Amino acid sequence: MTPGLNHYLVVSGLLFSLGLLGVLGRRNLLIIYMGLELMLNAGNLALVSFSRFNGNLNGQVMVFFTITVAAAEVAVGLALIVALYRKRQTAHVEDLTTLKF
Amino acid sequence: MDYPGLIKLLAPECVVVLTALAVLFADVKFWRGLPNGRRFGRGVTLSTVGLMAAALFAEFGENSADVLMGTLVLTPVSQFLKLVLLLLTLATVWLCGDTDFTDHVGEFLALLLLAATGMMLLISTENLLMIFVSLELVSLSLYVITAFNKRSSRSAEAALKYFLFGGMAAGFTLFGFSLLYGLCGSIHLPDIALALNTKGSDPLARAAVVMVLAGFGFKIAAVPFHFWAPDAYEGAPAPAAAFIASGSKVASFFILTTLLQSGMPGAAGSGAWKAFVPGWMPIVAILATASMVFGNLAALAQSGLRRLLACSAIAHAGYALLAVLADPPDAKPALLYYVTTYAMTLVGMFGLVSVVERGHGDDSIGRLAGLSQRSPLLAACLSVFSLSLAGVPPLSGFFGKFYVFVALVKSGPSYSSHFWLALVAIAMSCVSLYYYLQVLKQVWVGEPLGDTRPAKVSAALTFVVAGLALGVVLLGCAPELLLAHFR
Amino acid sequence: MLAWTLYLSFAGAVGMFLLPRENLRAPRVLALGMAVAGLLAAVGGALQHPIGGGIVVIAKQTWIPSLGADYFLAADGISLTLVLLTGVVATAGVLFSWNIELRPREFFAFYLVLIGGVYGVFLSFDLLLLLVFYEIAIVPKYFLIAIWGSTHREYAAMKLALYSFVGSALVIAGFVAAYVVSGAQTFNLLELAKFEYPREFQLWAFPVVFVGFGILAGLWPFHSWAPTGHVAAPTAASMLLAGVVMKLGAYGCLRVAMTLFPEGLAAWRGVIGILAVIGIVYGALVALVQRDFKFVVGFSSVSHMGFVLLGLATVTTIGLSGAVLQMFSHGILAGLLFGVVGRMIYDREHTRDLDQLEARHLGRALPFAAVTFVLAGLASMGLPGFSGFVAELSVLIGAWQRFPRLAVIAGAGIVVGVAYTLRAIQKAFFSGAEMPSPDPFQAGHGESAISVPEKVGAGLLIACTVVVGLYPRLLLDWIVPSFNSPLFDGLRRGAGL
Repeated sequence: MTPGLNHYLVVSGLLFSLGLLGVLGRRNLLIIYMGLELMLNAGNLALVSFSRFNGNLNGQVMVFFTITVAAAEVAVGLALIVALYRKRQTAHVEDLTTLKF
Repeated sequence: MDYPGLIKLLAPECVVVLTALAVLFADVKFWRGLPNGRRFGRGVTLSTVGLMAAALFAEFGENSADVLMGTLVLTPVSQFLKLVLLLLTLATVWLCGDTDFTDHVGEFLALLLLAATGMMLLISTENLLMIFVSLELVSLSLYVITAFNKRSSRSAEAALKYFLFGGMAAGFTLFGFSLLYGLCGSIHLPDIALALNTKGSDPLARAAVVMVLAGFGFKIAAVPFHFWAPDAYEGAPAPAAAFIASGSKVASFFILTTLLQSGMPGAAGSGAWKAFVPGWMPIVAILATASMVFGNLAALAQSGLRRLLACSAIAHAGYALLAVLADPPDAKPALLYYVTTYAMTLVGMFGLVSVVERGHGDDSIGRLAGLSQRSPLLAACLSVFSLSLAGVPPLSGFFGKFYVFVALVKSGPSYSSHFWLALVAIAMSCVSLYYYLQVLKQVWVGEPLGDTRPAKVSAALTFVVAGLALGVVLLGCAPELLLAHFR
Repeated sequence: MLAWTLYLSFAGAVGMFLLPRENLRAPRVLALGMAVAGLLAAVGGALQHPIGGGIVVIAKQTWIPSLGADYFLAADGISLTLVLLTGVVATAGVLFSWNIELRPREFFAFYLVLIGGVYGVFLSFDLLLLLVFYEIAIVPKYFLIAIWGSTHREYAAMKLALYSFVGSALVIAGFVAAYVVSGAQTFNLLELAKFEYPREFQLWAFPVVFVGFGILAGLWPFHSWAPTGHVAAPTAASMLLAGVVMKLGAYGCLRVAMTLFPEGLAAWRGVIGILAVIGIVYGALVALVQRDFKFVVGFSSVSHMGFVLLGLATVTTIGLSGAVLQMFSHGILAGLLFGVVGRMIYDREHTRDLDQLEARHLGRALPFAAVTFVLAGLASMGLPGFSGFVAELSVLIGAWQRFPRLAVIAGAGIVVGVAYTLRAIQKAFFSGAEMPSPDPFQAGHGESAISVPEKVGAGLLIACTVVVGLYPRLLLDWIVPSFNSPLFDGLRRGAGL
């Protein structure tokens, strides 16, 4: 059968949920970042599929920009991990407890 | 539209970017050998020149345009708001004047200016792509400057938490935008509005509304997306925290209002009492209520000035969200007045926080004891800011809240539709008076511990803080000065 | 002319911070100058005010076009009376504070801001402006009590500030609703008074606004901030709080709640009458058993304000004029009573406990204080010849016309008033305890004599209460005709004035 819009959207939704689970459930910061990327790419997939099925190119143009932005975000995030690691020697999110309510 | 024309329209942003690059270049090439204080001083001077030039362009340049499918939309209100943002950036830059938290002076100032550029672009657009890209520009710059104090591990930790929550929010925003695009076939807000008039109750639209609100809720620190705020406000260096609290709030609220009221009126629904209709209005009403209640109650328990300001930021996000629910003619003036004066107050407060920290090392409220005897001017400014946040006339915080209440109660079919929200807000304002008076009690009633000499503060900082305090008083006594520009 | 009262007060407050920090005399002189100038401006404005009602517009400027709020100052007979009251009590307060040594600059600065706010409320005829001045008056009270106060000062200051703020919060809610429902795009009181609000709206809006103002007026059961706050406050602040600030609440009730929502008033009037009478009797009974002298005076304030609220609830011309006159009279007398207890006695004896004071023979040691307090006590009991008599009599006549049973109970409250006043006088000044020999009060031993500023302050207040007591028409000629103005048409229509 031909994959329709709904199939792509379901995949996109699943990717998003997986990414969210990764961010919320994992302890290692690098894995959390992978979850973030997954969420952003789910959005990209949704954009591309909508673009295909709506018949205009706006979505695909948007994807070009969002991929770039996601890359920049990763760069910043990794720099922050390095900054933190130099101070705290840990990449586990549970060890970030100095700022408490 | 040819490139020179585009550059003319984007003159303020271009000038700010060039200033950022100039500061970066000058710092790397010419100022490396100087002590940090001198480098910051020169960097601040260069940035000031650039920001003033950008302000002139914003004031006297084009103020009406709509280019490239809404990618760049200039209106008199947005140009005035750019002036406001440039002013807030200027104040924040001057707060850097005599700090010593980093060796990377040029980078810090450049990032600050780039964040300002992002904010200016954010308020001049009606296109989903541009919103996303500018939002990310602002966010990424702010994440980095939060981490700038390399001597403190709290700075890096705060930045990381800010980044994690922010990244999640960006993901939500992007997904929400993609759903909007898919449903309406366009990334231009007016086209989306047109399409949503008929498709407003489509499940995709509802999902998009929730996602977009989640993303923006993070930016404005509304409950339940507020978890990053206390940590970021506490760990970031004072000028960075000031900028997060002021500029990014102003820009985010403006674009949120544009997005919701111009872009998605069809999916509005209603949050009226006993007349609930699904849409973004009831969600905003709930976010507002939760933020006001939680922010004020949490602030009661705080003993550090920075965390207190963070909780108050959460509460004030709630009050400002009420303006988003008002009818369009009143919503933007009320919201922008509120958020602008709030931003001014916060920059001033963080200036005072940096004074306290410099003197004592930490920011606990007890450190303020006896400030009225050591420096009456700073004590008066602190009183002005605190009372404005509490909503005491004749300061701008009072009029901000009052005007928001009037705009809110006026909207809807009858006065009682949104009245319940106003009641919650008024009740929470009373609660807030308690903790602001506790701060002022230390300042006026407390006796100075140890050092009783007059506090030594640099002229630039005093000028900024006093100027902002004067502004808060003036705009409170004559609110029309600002309201006229926001119509 | 009248607007100068408030400009001078605020200017004085700002000017305080230009004075050198160590100079103790300069702030007192500046404060006295501003207070006296305010009083003269008030008197001057009064002389210019036409007898026979009418609202005199003082200033009217566009302020916030977006909301329709104007800078609208005006005065009718009621405002005039209360402005005069403020002028007198403010001057007396400065005189009674002549001995302040701790941070006098800040003390008088907060004091002048408070006075300025009070003048502003009495002169505002624009609701938003009234609200602004009303809230301006809250914060200085906190600092005056928290820094210069005595017993439990920080707790009392916070309680007072929060109660006042909650009261004004209720008022804000009512004002916003009233503004939106009227659809009139203006906060001008005269315009809004003409609008007839729907009855269901008035039924809830009236109690909200009335209670909001009533909290500050000491409406039972929202009065508990008052005794605590008055006791903890320094003398001048107590004088102002009990004398003038409580009248702000009652004024707000009359000027705003009753004028805008007459049908709501008609519906709730019985409840208010009952609460007022409970306040009269409760305040008096509690004052009867107090050990702390200042608490006696504090609770007596609650009792006397009950008369004001009872007068307001009657909605008869005589009852309302009695209420306004009682506002003036009690303002003066509260000033006098707190002045004696706080400045003359506490500052010298460092105790306010009546049992301890019994042993100190203050009747012989401080004869001036004794005479002043006796005069003030007689006046506050309602003895003819003093201002309290005419006021309370008018209120009782008005109450008899509307709520005869409540009038009787209120009369009984007056009797209890006599009891607690005489008890306090007897214990503090004229106890029959043994005199030590040789008599320490011969040859100038014992307590320091009453100073000149205190005597002038007390003299000013006594003169006012006697003059108004002997010739009440002085004030009634302004007060009574002001009820004929169009502002009270609503009350005539909807509540039977």
